[in-house]
Amino acid sequence: MTKKVIYILLILGFFVFAATSCLHKDIPEVEINSNLTQNFVQEHISHAKGKYELIEINGIEYFRSRGNTGKYGGTLSNSTIGEGPKTFNIWNSKDNTSSSLAGIMFEGMFTSDPHTGEVIPKLAKKVEIDSTGKKYTITLRKGLKWSDGKEITADDVEFTYNTIIKQGYGDTSTRDVMTVDGQMPECVKLDKYTIRFTTPKPFAPFLRMLGFAIAPKHIMKSVTDKGKEEFNRFWGVTTNPKEIVTNGAFKLKEYVPAQRVIFERNPNYSMVDSKNNVLPYLDKYVVYIVGDLNNQVLKFEAGELDILPVRGNQVARFKSLEKNSDYKMYNLGAGDGTTFVSFNLNRRQNEKGKYYVNPIKQKWFNDDNFRKAVDYAIDRDFIVANILNGVGMPLYTAEGLSSIFLNENLAKGHPKDINFARKLLEESGFYTDEKGILHDKEGNIVEFTLMTNAGNIERESIGVMIKEDLAELGMKVNFKPIEFNVLVGKLTGSLDWDAIIMGLTGSSLEPNNGANVWYSYGSLHMFNLRQGKDATNKVDLRIWEKKLDELFAKGATILDFSERKKIYDEYQQIVYDNRPFIYLYTPLNIYAVRTKFKNLDPTSLGGVLHNLEEIYIE
Amino acid sequence: MSVLVYIIKRILNAIPILFIVSLISFFIIRLSPIDPLSELKLNPAISPQTLEAEKIRLGLDLPLYKQYLRWGGNFLKGDLGVSTSGELVADRLKERIPNTLLLTGITIILTWLVGIPLGIYAALNWRKPADRIITVFTSIGMAVPSFFYALLLLVLAVKTGWFPIGGLTSFNFSQMNLFHKIFDIIHHLFLPVLVLFTLSLAGLQRQMRGNLLDVLESDYIKLARAKGLSENKVIYKHAVRNAINPMVTLIGFEFAGLLSGAALTEYVFQYPGLGRLVLEAVMKSDINLVMASLMIGSIMLVIGNLIADILLKIVDPRVTME
Repeated sequence: MTKKVIYILLILGFFVFAATSCLHKDIPEVEINSNLTQNFVQEHISHAKGKYELIEINGIEYFRSRGNTGKYGGTLSNSTIGEGPKTFNIWNSKDNTSSSLAGIMFEGMFTSDPHTGEVIPKLAKKVEIDSTGKKYTITLRKGLKWSDGKEITADDVEFTYNTIIKQGYGDTSTRDVMTVDGQMPECVKLDKYTIRFTTPKPFAPFLRMLGFAIAPKHIMKSVTDKGKEEFNRFWGVTTNPKEIVTNGAFKLKEYVPAQRVIFERNPNYSMVDSKNNVLPYLDKYVVYIVGDLNNQVLKFEAGELDILPVRGNQVARFKSLEKNSDYKMYNLGAGDGTTFVSFNLNRRQNEKGKYYVNPIKQKWFNDDNFRKAVDYAIDRDFIVANILNGVGMPLYTAEGLSSIFLNENLAKGHPKDINFARKLLEESGFYTDEKGILHDKEGNIVEFTLMTNAGNIERESIGVMIKEDLAELGMKVNFKPIEFNVLVGKLTGSLDWDAIIMGLTGSSLEPNNGANVWYSYGSLHMFNLRQGKDATNKVDLRIWEKKLDELFAKGATILDFSERKKIYDEYQQIVYDNRPFIYLYTPLNIYAVRTKFKNLDPTSLGGVLHNLEEIYIE
Repeated sequence: MSVLVYIIKRILNAIPILFIVSLISFFIIRLSPIDPLSELKLNPAISPQTLEAEKIRLGLDLPLYKQYLRWGGNFLKGDLGVSTSGELVADRLKERIPNTLLLTGITIILTWLVGIPLGIYAALNWRKPADRIITVFTSIGMAVPSFFYALLLLVLAVKTGWFPIGGLTSFNFSQMNLFHKIFDIIHHLFLPVLVLFTLSLAGLQRQMRGNLLDVLESDYIKLARAKGLSENKVIYKHAVRNAINPMVTLIGFEFAGLLSGAALTEYVFQYPGLGRLVLEAVMKSDINLVMASLMIGSIMLVIGNLIADILLKIVDPRVTME
């Protein structure tokens, strides 16, 4: 008997020991404040610095960096979530991870100013656009070298454009976006450092597109000669890193599958500091490949990572620990992604003569007052405070809050106003019965399905909130998260959906990248997708859809920024008034970076590491 | 001779099994509504032409049975095909298989080296404090979910800084000398091996203990003791040898689990093994990659069982191979 008691005590003791050691002051108590972002994460303010200063040393035209003079050495460790790169051939990368990793090694003739978004020269030193707006004459910097010592010349540019991009080697998305009315711009080499592009008609996004990475002709020519299959395999992840010739600040040192990618400094990089030392300062830049968010946070806390994108639910905790730690947090402001609710505005029938959307529901969804009422019933501030833990902003515009084309007049939006929403519904003949259930003019109960992709916890919680918000109006919303792939099938194939919560990645710099969404025949014109014969037969085009078609066609041809902005302001106004998408929120980008790194200059458009070459360790 | 015939028979038996496995897995994956191109379809920068080209490249435009025949034909020729991102499946597997083998191999060797003696020890000290204490710990080992246990150890690593957070090697691994390299790998392997070790140790130790207890009860052991054989001889020559038979069958399953058994632990520890690769592949419906790993799993199971049966024959002459 006593023996048994002893054993029980022993076992209990073990569990208590195990439990206490786990609980040991893991997470300090932190009050979540809904005004979090306003209160303590101050917007990082940094000033535009304009173009780089050109300086010639030993026949090489360097750009001079604008940060403080630093010193050489050290490593910066970053991370990427997922399976890691699929290729180091940037012209063949089809996924974000590969593109951004290879992007560290390759530069183009132009880049976007991280402060203003303006297009500024990188490998080039100037560009002249003639009065027709179609001819771009570009002069490259002289004497720049590839990491293997060969000079970078107009031949490389001409080869990259005329062979790799134009003939469709590797990933063809660059070619796709450059095509204007089915025609590609022409490219001719004028002399060793000068090159001319001619677009079929004025095409505003083109200058920014000229930022495509330049390929080394002396290496790649023999590969493209062997055909596309060979090119797709070239510089794959099994390549010996020494064979990869780069023109960026770093070159590849080592790739260990599913663990990390290591870059080392490219001694031939094209920038110098104020004392004419060639950049970059850092010896190594390491990108760990981590499987999920939790692991990323753990690795940062254990000191293995130097930089961490901090998620909404972690911001308060990290902020409270910041004072006694070796990192500093930066708020880069709103990201360029958007999240929205959309109703299926499709009024057509499929090939079998069946309506894609039930005709009763069609009437509701196509009723402007109905969508407006939904818009006014949704409490965006509540969503931001509760789901994003305050680390976000309500969104009302089609261009994200960080966009240089944002229509400022609309950005403020409107608060939730349930009475106004009710009034709007009344105007359209909707009424609520004694049980509070909403009926339409003909007496049908207003009930529809709202879908989103399962597994996205944020969107799933938002769905529940919206369901409750709309219940205040008497609408019955059946919220149904489904598998992402199935959802995409419905959005792009069968078109049989009522309402969705979706997100799209936007571009802060180029609204024309979203043209596929807004053109009435666009492949992502989700709220009224046209397939087959419907794509050309535009009978039931709404007036505002027609207007959007015109605006986007016109917007792409105007080169002057302020003229262009007017056009995109108008498109945002139209979307705001007609609400094909009811925008909800945009998260804020918040990063934690170790304080030992100097010359950090995080910006909303450029991120934390846009000036990686001048970052150094004190 | 009979062994050879037996092996050939078994291999022939395995063919329909593998065929059915491949058929079922292929159609389950393909009939599920997962579309490998769905991400591309929602990308504003991808043109319909590019989508069409991708579809043809992946063979998604063919009817289902033709897709299967195409895959099957290539598989028989030893060509595992390309993944949706365009790399050779064989290359991807080659990257990961050695890492997984290292992890599971060490674990299996450790568990057997510790589990068997511990089982014997517990059986010989039946109902004594040593047996009880071992039982308590193995109960805990069996009860704790591996996922949770691994997470706890990760938290320990973060709080103490004693161990690296996941991975297999440090970033400066390539500059280390041999001694440091070995140490670095052991340092990284410690926690994942500990998780797998604790979990499988529990099962193995209990199995061995139970078997030996059964055997110790039997008449021939009593006879041996009555005959006056030394206790060592009774136990190690007669009892253990008989108790080990069921363990040999376990070896077969362990062999099958060499590549797939550690998937969860690999995931938590961000171990660069097969588990993480296959999990991602399933999510993306990367059919060639998933099929290749499923087929390898099935083949390993068939081979594992075969090995176990042959070992059993060696250990126990009474077993016939008919």
